[in-house]
Amino acid sequence: MNASWQRILTVARREFLTTVKRRAFLLTLIGTPAYFAFVTFLSASASLQEKKDALKDLDVLAVIDSSGAFANASREIRTTLKTDLTFSRRSTMKPDSISFRTEVRFYSSLDSALADVRSGKIPQALVIPADYVETGRMRRYTRPGSPFTSGDRKAIGGWLARNLVAGHVGDDVAARAARPSEEEQLFTLDRSGRFEIKDDSREIADFLVPMFFSMLLGLSIMIGGQYLLQGVAEEKESRILESLMCQVSAEELMTGKLMGLGAVGLMTVGIWVTAGLLASGPALSMMPISAQPSVLAVATLYFLFGYLFFGSIMTGIGAITNNMREAQQFAVWFTLANFAPFILITSILSHPDGPLAFWLSLFPPTASTTMMMRLGASNSAVPAWQVALSLVLLGASGLLALRTSARIFRVGLLMYGKPPTLPEILRWARRA
Amino acid sequence: MLQVREVVKRYDDRTVVDHVTFEVDAGEVFALLGPNGAGKTTLIRMITDILRPDSGEILLDGRKVDSERRHAIAYLPEERGLYRRTKAFEVVAYYGELKGMTPRDSRAEARRLLERVELAEWADKQVQALSKGMQQKVQLCTALIGSPTLLILDEPFSGLDPINVQLFESILAERRAAGTTVLLSTHQMNKVEEVCDRALMINEGKMVLHGAVRDIRRLHADHAVIVHTEDHLPALPGVRSVEPMNGDFKLMLEPEATAQSVLRALIDRDVRIQSFALAWLPLEDVFVKVVRERLGLEGSKG
Repeated sequence: MNASWQRILTVARREFLTTVKRRAFLLTLIGTPAYFAFVTFLSASASLQEKKDALKDLDVLAVIDSSGAFANASREIRTTLKTDLTFSRRSTMKPDSISFRTEVRFYSSLDSALADVRSGKIPQALVIPADYVETGRMRRYTRPGSPFTSGDRKAIGGWLARNLVAGHVGDDVAARAARPSEEEQLFTLDRSGRFEIKDDSREIADFLVPMFFSMLLGLSIMIGGQYLLQGVAEEKESRILESLMCQVSAEELMTGKLMGLGAVGLMTVGIWVTAGLLASGPALSMMPISAQPSVLAVATLYFLFGYLFFGSIMTGIGAITNNMREAQQFAVWFTLANFAPFILITSILSHPDGPLAFWLSLFPPTASTTMMMRLGASNSAVPAWQVALSLVLLGASGLLALRTSARIFRVGLLMYGKPPTLPEILRWARRA
Repeated sequence: MLQVREVVKRYDDRTVVDHVTFEVDAGEVFALLGPNGAGKTTLIRMITDILRPDSGEILLDGRKVDSERRHAIAYLPEERGLYRRTKAFEVVAYYGELKGMTPRDSRAEARRLLERVELAEWADKQVQALSKGMQQKVQLCTALIGSPTLLILDEPFSGLDPINVQLFESILAERRAAGTTVLLSTHQMNKVEEVCDRALMINEGKMVLHGAVRDIRRLHADHAVIVHTEDHLPALPGVRSVEPMNGDFKLMLEPEATAQSVLRALIDRDVRIQSFALAWLPLEDVFVKVVRERLGLEGSKG
């Protein structure tokens, strides 16, 4: 390509500046993370509130004990609920918690207990049959409540466990029976062959780090790609291209757009990451997250190659369609391909070296996001050759997409009317 | 200045430009004519290097139009289009930068050009706030910025009111005086007669007329003269018939007769002549005649 870098940079600068000056960009920049933060906060708060409500409502528990195993059971259940939404238990701050008290009221008749549940005097009745110790069978009667909370069930379960063994063992053993694995420390084998403690924060980090990295990569690629799609579709719709292409070749225009709008995508993610780190710095510092420089370098390569691949395809789509609506109909399939690994994230992270993860990390449309998940997963040791092969395949596909799209771009930009069929597109790619 | 040699362009099995050859001299205003679908736009796209010819070559000052030569050409296409949400002067300046000007120079030049087309007070407005005629003037500025040596204008006068037509014409005259070569594609034949030196007409991709506008009109003129007189016209040697025409008389001549022999005969018979002219067809009639002839030929072939 006998291209002028002066023209390419002029196009890139214009694309970058006009995009970042738009109100819609500001909305994306602020709105997207605000939306995710809001949804996450809402979800966590709602879950906690459900638990609180369930325990608060359980002020009295009616018990009809036919087994006799609970004759000397305590007449109250004390439950403590942590209200701290941060991930770490190592926090030096004192965790917030709320205590709940439930009165256990023994009934001799099931009918009277159920009548009290019906009238709303008591929220729940627990029926312990005579063969409970042998079979474990029991019945619980309650008024309609949320189907999503198990807070009250856990509290009742703890009371049952504690009082089953009470009298046979000491109080401390009884308390332990109620919460047998409260202080468990789980050690798992890490990549270097050492056993590392796997506490709540590490468990979250093991899931979040690969998810976060691949999500950032996928988002930055898609944001740049969407801007490209929008930019080309708008230019085509406004019919500016004919006079523009007298001054700048299709290749120069396409390369300038890829550079300028890729920078917008990268900058957007950069701002989100920086803002996220600043906002959640104290909480994050408690988490066992460490990013290796080599992983960051590989992530940068995946961004560049992935963006080249998807950006070229998006530009080609913009060129063959007449407007944004048509362009989106084509583009949605490639967007789905980029985010497909997130649908399979549980399988990928459970077996990061398994065949599914391996092949998805080689397949160019899913390679970037899948490989970032694999590299971030604590239970994976991705061989260097797999990373190299994946990058080579993605880079080669990116160059092929760029070359093909540039040819389609040259012909398609000045074509209007019915979108071309696949054989027509292939003919353009050969002819241009 | 511009040399187009044996250029051919095919789309699938259809030849849209078929061995077209012509030259445009420096400082000339050259008309590219043809009915809709004749291949004019494809030819222009090849001159501007938007499309590549299948065979033949296009040279600008003896060299192929490549990346380096691109800035010498400017094109105002028939399909108008601008960045709608960008300020008028920024759009013009963008084109200047694409033509190799520095951002500072291109912005200054953009403002100067907008002032020239009487849009100084609209320079900082978004394009979408401008009327269609104003947008057309902004688009002309995008073609003029950077002082191109070859200016290609496709239907530049369409949709303009008479005042703006005059403005466009005066700007063209300025550019021509400054040495700019203009390739004008239009269906407004009166404008071709007014401003163009030479013309090329293509039909179905093939060249059908090529030469000086004056020669084309003369070549296709009826063998007749138009005389205006208050006197009664006597029978004249060499005159086959006389047709009244808007107060004038159109004298159809015998093949061997000439305008001079008829004029002499009129003088010899003491006819008081108020005007005497060769019966040249307007270019528009030549255009229609040639296209119809071509269609007739095609019909007889079929």
